[in-house]
Amino acid sequence: MPDVVLSEFAGVDLPAVVDALLRIVFIVALMTVNALALIYLERKVLARFHQRVGPTRTGPFGILQSAADALKLMAKEDLRPTSADRWVFELAPYFAFVPIFLIFVPIPFTQTWIVRDLELGFLYVFGVLGLNLVGVVMAGWGSDNKYALLGAVRAAAQAISYELPMLMVSVGVVLIVASHLIADTGSAAGALNLNVIAGDQRTTPFFLLQPLGFVIFMVAALAELHRPPFDTPVAESEVVGGYFIEYSGIRWSFFFLAEYTALLLLVLIASVVFLGGWNFPFGADAGLGLQLVLTLLKASALIFVIFWSRAVMPRLRIDQLMAFSWKVLLPFSIFQVMANAIILAYNGADWIIGLTSLALLVLLAGLVYGRARLQAGEAARRLRLRPARPRMITASDVSGAGGGSGS
Amino acid sequence: MTATEVVFYIIAFFMIAAGLGVVLFRNIVHAALALIMALAAVAGVYVILSVEFLALAQLVIYGAAVIMLVLFALMLTRSRERPQAVFGKNRPFAVAVAGGLLAAFIGGIVATEWTQPARDDIEPVPFQEIGDVLFSVWAVPFEVVSVVLLIALAGAILLSLPDDEEER
Repeated sequence: MPDVVLSEFAGVDLPAVVDALLRIVFIVALMTVNALALIYLERKVLARFHQRVGPTRTGPFGILQSAADALKLMAKEDLRPTSADRWVFELAPYFAFVPIFLIFVPIPFTQTWIVRDLELGFLYVFGVLGLNLVGVVMAGWGSDNKYALLGAVRAAAQAISYELPMLMVSVGVVLIVASHLIADTGSAAGALNLNVIAGDQRTTPFFLLQPLGFVIFMVAALAELHRPPFDTPVAESEVVGGYFIEYSGIRWSFFFLAEYTALLLLVLIASVVFLGGWNFPFGADAGLGLQLVLTLLKASALIFVIFWSRAVMPRLRIDQLMAFSWKVLLPFSIFQVMANAIILAYNGADWIIGLTSLALLVLLAGLVYGRARLQAGEAARRLRLRPARPRMITASDVSGAGGGSGS
Repeated sequence: MTATEVVFYIIAFFMIAAGLGVVLFRNIVHAALALIMALAAVAGVYVILSVEFLALAQLVIYGAAVIMLVLFALMLTRSRERPQAVFGKNRPFAVAVAGGLLAAFIGGIVATEWTQPARDDIEPVPFQEIGDVLFSVWAVPFEVVSVVLLIALAGAILLSLPDDEEER
């Protein structure tokens, strides 16, 4: 497999060890820059939604704000509570961070820019993503703090619940890729390879064939990332700071680095799997630079949607959150997989899959909207909140009101 | 020694150290964390044997899910207040059984006359073949296992239901 990153530029064959080291350095640099940039952009985007301007003082447009924050964090004292479990507490940031770092391996930035083109890339992503929880639970348990433990248990429960619908809709995509591969080559080998999945979307990206899958994937990604409206594990008003409440300085920044790296990774995976990655709409012949720009543009658009949802959505309660995964998302993702399997078993065309998925999505949206209306109505009745009835303004209103001259 | 052997011995060292940690740590949560290390090291051995599919299955199933349940159980059973393992009067028996088993396994491995010498090259089994066989030849055992898991799930729900009729 010619998955060579640097030799392409340098024109020389590097020794395997040097090549591997350079790839690691590249990924580490990317992660750091990404976290700094995303923190700055998130503050700016949120500020615009709040009709503020965000950071402006540090550098032009406040662009150096994250760098200043990072320097401050590194200079901060690394505190450890005396009652904390020493090794569990100190090792937890690394256990939370390393799995996230490992997920970079099979991501196709362009057709040939991949750290390693893994045959089972999609499965690998989910296998390694789950290990991140070990660090979170270690942090929560090792801190010897009630809020940290509560946050960690919430994070674990939430991650386990939302990983299932995410996996199921991914299976739906893999089924379609496998059917295309069987039609082309007679074998389904490679259907779990992220690069092959991107390569299959030359004309139709999968968000057209699997709109329901795309929506469920993004909702589950919000929950996996502890992003609003699913940010109960780190909710300030409920569990103060969540599982990393006792951390400070460099260890705390490791958790932050892990969160923002995970954000980048999940949107990259979503853009490769559902938006066509490097392939749609210009195909494999487009230059590598254009492919990279395409992948990153799609990822950026999804990141903006995630910031957007933080600005406009209220936080769910933990019971609503769990119920939403198990009673709504999981059944619908199973319907999606079953529908795909049945249609493909009878050699149905792709547009039938797309229409079925769209119909399921409309059904899901209708259910959620109807339920929300119903609950809002109940809540309003409980609180005796009724919309004021319009009535005629009479002469006594005008003459009798002393301070009512606001209109 | 080839590079593969060096990697293998590093992984084997971690596996044995973590395995000893599982039984020797007094704190039961530390033991569970060591168990994660041991299971991850087993996944590493699978990678060396070029069965990436098994390695990933190991990580997905043991690395995350089962260990998560173990940690939940530990956290919710107040293990923090009573972290000491209890040594009963059966301790000598346990030592004897464990030592005997270890001796039997090592003796068995050493005494067996292996018909084929160890080969340097490994033919990786394509995971597609694993899938084909799993869902055709071994479809019935596969389904039976999934039914067992379903029963376990239903049992867990039943156990966690409150006894009192009114509370349901």
